[in-house]
Amino acid sequence: MKLLIINGNPSPGNTLFEEFTRDFISGLRDAGHQVREFVLRDMKIKPCTGCFACWVKTPGICSIDDDGRKVAREFIASDHVIIASPLIMGFVSALTKNAFDRNIPLVHPHLEAVDGETHHKKRYDRHPAISFLLQREPFTDDEDIAIATAIFKRESINLRSTLGFIRFIDTPVKEVLDAINIH
Amino acid sequence: MRLTFINGSPRGSKSNTAKVMDYFIQGFLETPGNSCEIQFITRHRGDLNALAGIFSAAERVLIGFPLYIDAMPGSVKEFFESLTPLAGRCRNIELGFVIQCGFPETHQNRFAERYCEKLARRLGCCYMGSIVKGGLEGMAIQPKFLTDKYEYFFHALGLEFGKSGKLDPVLLEKLSRPEHIRQEDLANLIPFINKALWDDQLEKNGVLDRSFDRPLEP
Repeated sequence: MKLLIINGNPSPGNTLFEEFTRDFISGLRDAGHQVREFVLRDMKIKPCTGCFACWVKTPGICSIDDDGRKVAREFIASDHVIIASPLIMGFVSALTKNAFDRNIPLVHPHLEAVDGETHHKKRYDRHPAISFLLQREPFTDDEDIAIATAIFKRESINLRSTLGFIRFIDTPVKEVLDAINIH
Repeated sequence: MRLTFINGSPRGSKSNTAKVMDYFIQGFLETPGNSCEIQFITRHRGDLNALAGIFSAAERVLIGFPLYIDAMPGSVKEFFESLTPLAGRCRNIELGFVIQCGFPETHQNRFAERYCEKLARRLGCCYMGSIVKGGLEGMAIQPKFLTDKYEYFFHALGLEFGKSGKLDPVLLEKLSRPEHIRQEDLANLIPFINKALWDDQLEKNGVLDRSFDRPLEP
């Protein structure tokens, strides 16, 4: 499978997270997957400005010419995208969210009814599955996880993808590797 | 009463969030002695600690933002992260949110609303509730009865808030309609939005026939 790991950890000093991600990626490669990793803190990605040029002026292309375009290009070319981020104030990092927001060129402005709600039409035939690899904060509780999970589920619907797995880095790497295969 | 409105829209003062909150603030200021300070997150991106300082010194705060892929925009998340040192220390702040989206049904905002409520508790704030509304994209092309409704309810919410310091639950519920849209209404509404909001802009820009382009096709 073609896998994209989006590493949204803002702190290189967070070794627990970096080591897990490194082991996870090497495990994926050992299993024969084709893996690409983007380390967002080393990239230049400006926030989406809500200009909608990617829908009404240059269909499918963001007006901001930076690494955000690269992420979107690789995102749609993948079978499975794994968003890897520590939870910060109960949600994925701002670094991650800024990159994620730049994915709206992947859908079309037109709405259609999906399970009784409005959602955007797909622009591409195949949209990847989206999974989340997270690190708890000291105070993360079940409610935080339920809130974040509900949002991730919604995000995968609105990007016309499917939600893969949600796992934490305090589980064995092997278990997360298995989750890829099960998905 | 002193209100601090932090506008988190990436479109800043030209945003739909700003437009509707102008009505709210007008209503709020009708009570003599009330004052409102408006801050834009986009203008503080270089130094969010300054905005965090303004937040920590405030009495009543509303944070507004448009829904970006089912959550707060990344730049609003940057601001939330700048509040990390304040966790559990904001007992004197009353905090509420304004969450709006372009999708016509308000329900799409409810997941982010849950997050915001938990964030308020995490900071130790007294949570005042949230103004939650769908259907605010393309206000310029919407029928007058709809834009009049936004003006009426946001103004009325601000007026009540200016008197009591509370977001009136009856007004919140009425503003939020439609929470969901019935199947038979979707069949009429969707083609209207697609044409009036999107195809007209695409046509004006001369790219209507290219709207389904796939420039990132692998």
